[in-house]
Amino acid sequence: MNDSTHLSELNQRVSAAKAEVEGRGETFYPGASRIHLASYPPRERWNDWVELDSKSWPERVEKRYMLVPTTCFNCESACGLLAYVDRETLQVRKFEGNPEHPGSRGRNCAKGPATLNQITDPDRILYPLKRSGRRGEGKWEQVSWDEALDAIAGRIRTALQEDRHEEVVYHVGRPGEDGYTERMLAAWGVDGHNSHTNVCSSGARAGYHWWMGMDRPSPDFSNAKVIVLVSSHLETGHYFNPHAQRIIEGKKNGAKLIVFDTRLSNTATHADHWLSPYPGSEPAIFLAIASWMIREGKYDREFVRRWWNWQEYMEVVNDEPGASFENFEEHLREVYSEFTFEYAATESGIDAATLLEVAKVVSTAGTRFASHNWRSAGSGNLGGWQVARTLTLLNALLGALATEGGTFPNSWNKFTPRPPRLPHQHPKKWNEVTWPREYPLALMEMSFLMPHLMKGQDAYLDVYFTRVYNPVWTNPDGFSWIEMLSDEDRIGLHVAMTPTWNETAYFADYILPMGHASERHDLTSYEQYNGQWIAFRQPVLRAARERLDEEITDTRQVNPGEVWEENEFWIDLTWRIDPDGSLGIREFFESKKVPGEKMTIDEYYGWIFDNSVPGLPEASAAEGLTPLEYMRRYGAFEISNKVGRVHEQLVPDNELEDVRVDEMGRVYSRAPIPPSPKAPGGTKIDEDEDGRRRVGVRVDGEILKGWPTPTGKLEFWSRTLHDWGWPELAIPKYIKSHIHPENLESDQVPLITTFRVPVQIHTRSANSKWLDEIAHTNPLWIHPIDADRVGISKTGDLVRVETELGYFVLKSWITEGIRPGVAACSHHMGRWKPEGHKGQRLGISTVALNQEGSEWSLTPRKGGEPFASSDPDTMRIWWTDLGVHQNLTHAVHPDPISGMHCWHQAVRICPAKEGDRAGDVSVDTGKSQAAYEKWLTMTRSADRYSPDGTRRPYWMLRPVRPEREAYRLPLKTESAEV
Amino acid sequence: MRNQGLDLPLAPNLSQESGQASVDLIRTLAVFAEAPASEHIHLWKTLGIEESPSASDYADIFLFQFYPYASVHLGPEGMLGGEAQNRVAGFWRALGRNPPSDPDHLAALLGLYATLSEQIGLVGTSSSELSHFSEAEALMITQGRDALLQEHIAPWVPAYLERIIEIATGPYRSWALLLDKVLRAELVRVGCPKQLPLHLRESSPLADPRTDGADAFISGLLAPVRAGIILARADLARLSSELDLGLRAGERRYALEHLLGQDSTGFLQSLAAEADRQAVGHEDRRELLGITADFFLDRALATSELLRKLSEGGARITAEIVS
Repeated sequence: MNDSTHLSELNQRVSAAKAEVEGRGETFYPGASRIHLASYPPRERWNDWVELDSKSWPERVEKRYMLVPTTCFNCESACGLLAYVDRETLQVRKFEGNPEHPGSRGRNCAKGPATLNQITDPDRILYPLKRSGRRGEGKWEQVSWDEALDAIAGRIRTALQEDRHEEVVYHVGRPGEDGYTERMLAAWGVDGHNSHTNVCSSGARAGYHWWMGMDRPSPDFSNAKVIVLVSSHLETGHYFNPHAQRIIEGKKNGAKLIVFDTRLSNTATHADHWLSPYPGSEPAIFLAIASWMIREGKYDREFVRRWWNWQEYMEVVNDEPGASFENFEEHLREVYSEFTFEYAATESGIDAATLLEVAKVVSTAGTRFASHNWRSAGSGNLGGWQVARTLTLLNALLGALATEGGTFPNSWNKFTPRPPRLPHQHPKKWNEVTWPREYPLALMEMSFLMPHLMKGQDAYLDVYFTRVYNPVWTNPDGFSWIEMLSDEDRIGLHVAMTPTWNETAYFADYILPMGHASERHDLTSYEQYNGQWIAFRQPVLRAARERLDEEITDTRQVNPGEVWEENEFWIDLTWRIDPDGSLGIREFFESKKVPGEKMTIDEYYGWIFDNSVPGLPEASAAEGLTPLEYMRRYGAFEISNKVGRVHEQLVPDNELEDVRVDEMGRVYSRAPIPPSPKAPGGTKIDEDEDGRRRVGVRVDGEILKGWPTPTGKLEFWSRTLHDWGWPELAIPKYIKSHIHPENLESDQVPLITTFRVPVQIHTRSANSKWLDEIAHTNPLWIHPIDADRVGISKTGDLVRVETELGYFVLKSWITEGIRPGVAACSHHMGRWKPEGHKGQRLGISTVALNQEGSEWSLTPRKGGEPFASSDPDTMRIWWTDLGVHQNLTHAVHPDPISGMHCWHQAVRICPAKEGDRAGDVSVDTGKSQAAYEKWLTMTRSADRYSPDGTRRPYWMLRPVRPEREAYRLPLKTESAEV
Repeated sequence: MRNQGLDLPLAPNLSQESGQASVDLIRTLAVFAEAPASEHIHLWKTLGIEESPSASDYADIFLFQFYPYASVHLGPEGMLGGEAQNRVAGFWRALGRNPPSDPDHLAALLGLYATLSEQIGLVGTSSSELSHFSEAEALMITQGRDALLQEHIAPWVPAYLERIIEIATGPYRSWALLLDKVLRAELVRVGCPKQLPLHLRESSPLADPRTDGADAFISGLLAPVRAGIILARADLARLSSELDLGLRAGERRYALEHLLGQDSTGFLQSLAAEADRQAVGHEDRRELLGITADFFLDRALATSELLRKLSEGGARITAEIVS
């Protein structure tokens, strides 16, 4: 046999072997590879994976595992996890990454594996608890689920029967799921969705929403040429693990990374250009860059001409209907001419030459410009929403929206499948507490103002759920929250649904134990790259036992104690609210297969996977699995890995029927909405006067899908802002922050409070021993110059930080990693429980809470220390400093437009005074009311400014949308002033 | 080559019929340059190699004797990483791909070669559904694959395999023989390069310790692109044994210094003979590799000549070298 024939034959043998192995759905080239990610057990072996037991070393003892996928429930990235379920004991031994998850691709941050700590937390809440003393006293009795469910359902049923729908409110932290609960509230007919968004991301959402009609960015970092981050996004933040790995990919491909961060964060250390601006000046910089690009002609003229709503702007603002594009360009140059690099340098403290250098880099990106802002400056400052709006201006100038390497709107990189039953009704009543008239443009609910709004409106909630949310700790002005929650004339029944003890749960009537990542079902999809995927969170022990042919009908059968999951809980609760179906609610949670029976979880998700996820049934069939079995086995499915420019897509002919095109090019059609596997959502664009729905926009003679904005274009100029009282801010502009030097006293400095550490997540993770050991305190970052100025001699010295409401005491960290003249203190730390309360010991101080009138104090009595528990590691705790709860001292700062709480504080810093101890907090809640009222004066209420007698622009996003009539203001208002 | 016990059906060999590379075979051989795993056993058997390597075999060949990285063989320092690795990473990027963590590892290079070959197969197919590459992309893939072979594989892998075949036993010897055959087939198909790759043209020859210092000289001896030879630990062991010198355990550089210190004249002469011996291998590859083989042949002969001159220098040179 000659060489050629020999090689040919060998190749055929390998090809045949490959075909045979792959035909079984297995991986042919397993093991480590420098070419593909294969550092994971091959998926065909997940059912019986063998590893050597590390604890038995040096003996080689084999352990057999079932690897069951689920989704992390810590931050909102929803990264894939693989639970290693010991086949012998059926316990979860560890969590690692799920390589089948398209977003996280097998990688996790520290919080993913630390799920193991959370599920084995020796102090976790295992049974439903009912308070047995007065609210907040810390006395609890264990009750059955039936008792709790009946009590809660009974109250809700009565409220609904008595038309008190507005008295039922569900307050959610990070949902970690896509739309299940919103649909449930819609089914109840309750406008009671209350998110944490306004302490998180309203600023960024507003900036994106008014440009694109969608409220989140989805940068395609991997393919970018230039990346701009206004955040410490490589270490924390939304989707940071999925994003961070793609940012690094982009960098490895040669992308330039520009980071705006006042602190020298880990992200800043990876930047090609790190800019440390004075907090809040970022929009001035972006406008200076934009102005320079416009002046120099370094923008995509064709994109701007085709996709900006410049005609509308020229017609309304410049009174030039029919103006030419060249006229608009001239106007554009003029309108931003004031934003020079010198001006931006004055505002930001960064020299003009550096800003020009960065502008030049930005201008080279073309359509591969990926930018991102979510919190950071966008959530710290009055007018912070202009950070996202001015940053998107750069994308819009470069034509780098929905392009490879550019920034996509979230909805195009996300897929929320249609559920089996979709509530058709909308709540009839508008909830004034969550959507007050003073903030008609807010994104979204004004949740952090609840104590003030409840008092101002003399409102009462009969049933108030806090769901994996901890407003007492997380929100500003926490003592006002305690006052509200303690008042039974304000809150009739407080139900805390939480996997872990938290400061808010101490003031609940019921505490309902909910599952962690491996103990619950949820479906998620997040915009993490230019693609679409879904991921399935599941109770892994349920899935494992089902693989062993056990029948599990209720997740409590496999969870520790009586820990439940929310899906089953809500179905059960709804059936108890409407046991006979007379309220018209129960039907949305009834089985399709067996009418009159409860919908089971298997049926609910089985239906979705069978009917609403394109490609999944085919992929499953190829492996001989049902779609539900496929998702239980692999945990995630990628629907698309390249979405592209949706706005440029032609509207299909079957959607064009009796078409009308208006003077602005908006195209309306009588064709019905085609069936879609996606759940409905997004903006609501009004029909034309003849009842046609808008299907697209005409651009250069073609009918294209366009953007979900009122004009169908990118809204450089926002008619919404213009008509609702803010004409001066209708185009991207710069608003001076509340902590702008002009607004500070001479002895005040801005305090940055929004930054996080990579290994903690709000108040969800303090029960993770591994994470606590890494990060457990939050000292004050202060520059040596400032430390010297205020008399702090060395790191570790105690300092007192005075805010509008009071003060807090903490240790100092003198560092050049912060801009001089600015201080910073991280999120997460300073967790506490009142003396005499049971609850979590890990990561939690015991404190004395004292109240005299409106004067409150919190004094730590016991910090971190070893303690005996079922986990021997708790005797090894070596750290004592658990930080300070600074948010208690923050007054509410609602941005009058976006509704965002503007987190940055104007503070005075001085050495600690006699008697001060680390962790001390002192607050006068009387002052918090004054602060609230001061910020209220900046608002432009719908009562006065609504152009059409409604409470809020109907087209704008809203998690649960009441019926149209509810949008009308109750009283006839004066005609709009604008 | 043993192939008893195989009972696999033969798949239609479309790629061979269309004149394309043995993609699956190359991928398999690439995987064998990775640490062995139990999952690989069936692959070895598929190739008719009944005995699969142990972790110890792997460590001896790839971690101890012959480092499977282009940067080690083509970099001026003879070490892992550096500019030579960056150059290979840049090549990945030029093809629009993310370089893996070790872009110049033999497995990565062969894997990339297989992938490009596979894409060329798609370009060449008559099915319009599969021909999703533009003309420019197709040209880039084809030229990219040939450049990968001529610039980043051919300059070091054939000589590298020759040394493994010479020193290894068992499965890795079989592997090297087979990979050598595959590469020869590919090299014949592509033909000899018309021009030396830039990194070879710009590389300096072995430094003369009399003018450049001993450090540069010893480093150069361990940098194949400079010396034209591959000096493995096994070579040092053999030479020291022949001269009855004591071999110090440690890095090759450390061992070299001590061997020169014990008997510089004799050891320099032995090294010169080794260079001559390896030059013969380059000579044999002239038809296959053309100017690339010439380059290494020249380097090996120059090294031999320098070593002989140094050996004639006596004690003075020895002192310089070992100082």
